Amino acid sequence: MLEGKFDQASLLKKIIDSIKDSVKLCNFNCTEADGITVQAIDDSRVLLIALKMDPGCFQEFRCDRDLVLGLDLESLGKILKQGNNEDYLTLIAEDSPDSLLVVFEDKKKDRISEFSLKLMDIDSDVLTIDDMDNDCSLTMPSSEFAKIARDFKTMSESLQIVVTKESVKFKAEGQIGSGNVIFKPHTDLDNPEESIKIDVNSPVNLTFGAKYLNDIVKAASLSSTITMKLTDKAPALFEFKLPSGYLRYYLAPKFEDEE
Amino acid sequence: MGIKGLNALVKEHAPRAIVSNEMKSLFGRKIAIDASMCLYQFLIAVRQQDGNNLTNESGDTTSHLMGFFYRTIRMASYGIKPCYVFDGKPPVLKGGELEKRLKRREEAESKATELKETGSIEELQKFQRRTVRVTKEQNEDAKKLLKLMGIPFVNAPCEAESQCAELSKSGKVYGAASEDMDTLCYQPAHFLRNVTAAEARKLKIEEYDINKVLEDFEMDINTFVDLCILLGCDYCETIKGIGPVTALKLIKEHKNIENIIKSIEENPKSKYKIPENWPYKEARELFLNPDVLKGDDVILKWEEPDIEGLVEFMVKQNGFSEQRIRDGASKLSKALKTGTQGRLDGFFKVQPSSSPAKRGAKDDKKSFNKKRKK
Repeated sequence: MLEGKFDQASLLKKIIDSIKDSVKLCNFNCTEADGITVQAIDDSRVLLIALKMDPGCFQEFRCDRDLVLGLDLESLGKILKQGNNEDYLTLIAEDSPDSLLVVFEDKKKDRISEFSLKLMDIDSDVLTIDDMDNDCSLTMPSSEFAKIARDFKTMSESLQIVVTKESVKFKAEGQIGSGNVIFKPHTDLDNPEESIKIDVNSPVNLTFGAKYLNDIVKAASLSSTITMKLTDKAPALFEFKLPSGYLRYYLAPKFEDEE
Repeated sequence: MGIKGLNALVKEHAPRAIVSNEMKSLFGRKIAIDASMCLYQFLIAVRQQDGNNLTNESGDTTSHLMGFFYRTIRMASYGIKPCYVFDGKPPVLKGGELEKRLKRREEAESKATELKETGSIEELQKFQRRTVRVTKEQNEDAKKLLKLMGIPFVNAPCEAESQCAELSKSGKVYGAASEDMDTLCYQPAHFLRNVTAAEARKLKIEEYDINKVLEDFEMDINTFVDLCILLGCDYCETIKGIGPVTALKLIKEHKNIENIIKSIEENPKSKYKIPENWPYKEARELFLNPDVLKGDDVILKWEEPDIEGLVEFMVKQNGFSEQRIRDGASKLSKALKTGTQGRLDGFFKVQPSSSPAKRGAKDDKKSFNKKRKK
């Protein structure tokens, strides 16, 4: 039996909203120790989503036996829309579930709403993600990064990220012209989440599809900072911290043709 | 023409070897396409409303140009990098098959002339389509067009399918696209069907994995090729009376054609008759060691389209609309300019998935893909 109670429905709402445009169907793996974990890859196999909601994300969490819940995120999104952001939200599933029970409790009124969502059997490949040595890691305010991703998409299909010891540069070249934004690392003691932190082993210069970056920054509302781990000619990791756990995106870069 | 009944056998005995996908899932991939088959396909399928081929002012057929131009652009706009492979000299063994095809065509031609007087339009069209033949000029036209479009092509020494497979096997391209199932015998890394089908038919791309076919058929490639010869290929006849079901049974029992022949000859009551001078060994050789250019010796290069050249060739010589050709060409150059999007499966290995096993323990019903639980 799985029973997970969120203090605020808004957390799960935001998570599902930010990933449901990239993947439609995914398996929620539930265990007592790790909470709920999800790995899903988009159809084109460019963007991978790894979600980990530790038991600490929940006000109460129990999961007697390991469970796999195959969910259609679009349907789940529809159900999550039925509750208010501040409601308690509880996910309940039997041991061999055919459906997932979603319960909202209004904190002020005595209103309880219950929804049941049919589960599916989803056969999906699981990718092994080894811990990679990164050429550099970069932490910055997520809203800042989201603005760059959105703004530059109007100019170009790709966004270039150039990191050196002294700065990080975001660059776009389009038909109408080009643009770039440069940040230097700084520490803001009053508002630590406004700080920009750069760790560089070796400089990198990577290009990503603007469309995918825009899918990623949909999660910017989950966390005030975003951490990127970049390695030359390898997928980049974009991480948003959750209250306990994380939402990670792995994105394959673009290449200039070798021939 | 492929292998008779192989597709049905694969669907029945190795369903997991076939994966259907939208075309967009292939983006970023390079694909080798059997151009000779495309030519036929376009000449047959691209027609005006009255059923006649498209023609230019001087009456030459232009259906194939239309097909190559638009379907290539469609692929490019999905981020696919196509290259085409043209047939070279047919193998000697194919002579019999080609003769048969010629005869069929002649029959269809005479029938068509006959029907012109008496028959209905539908019937006439049916037979007209059967008379389609690809001329040398059309081959040259197609190559000229591809060159102007900046799309690479390869002249295979022999059969185009085997060359496509070689390119895929050697990693030059991701997959070999053809409609002919015999491509599987040449073991391409990925065999793709419906890549050049008309958009309006909304067919998904079918991707065949030869290794999974072999696993599920429980045989190696040699046995598989023998199976294909028994089913009926372009290179030799089959044993009369052996259909797909019997062929699979026999090959599983005897492992190769030699043993099957022996068992038939040893059994006087056998109703099967081995064809005289049956060149199955030569056919097998053609499948296992086809005459191809080594993948490493082939250079594929995608270039900027020559827009003015295209306008000259397509608009002035062949009567296409200038606006459309220019629009198409600019789509093409845009698609080729943006760097190739990398894919994660190049970096992360697919795990032999553990979660289905967990589920398997729970419910024993064999449920493939996305089936709703009741």
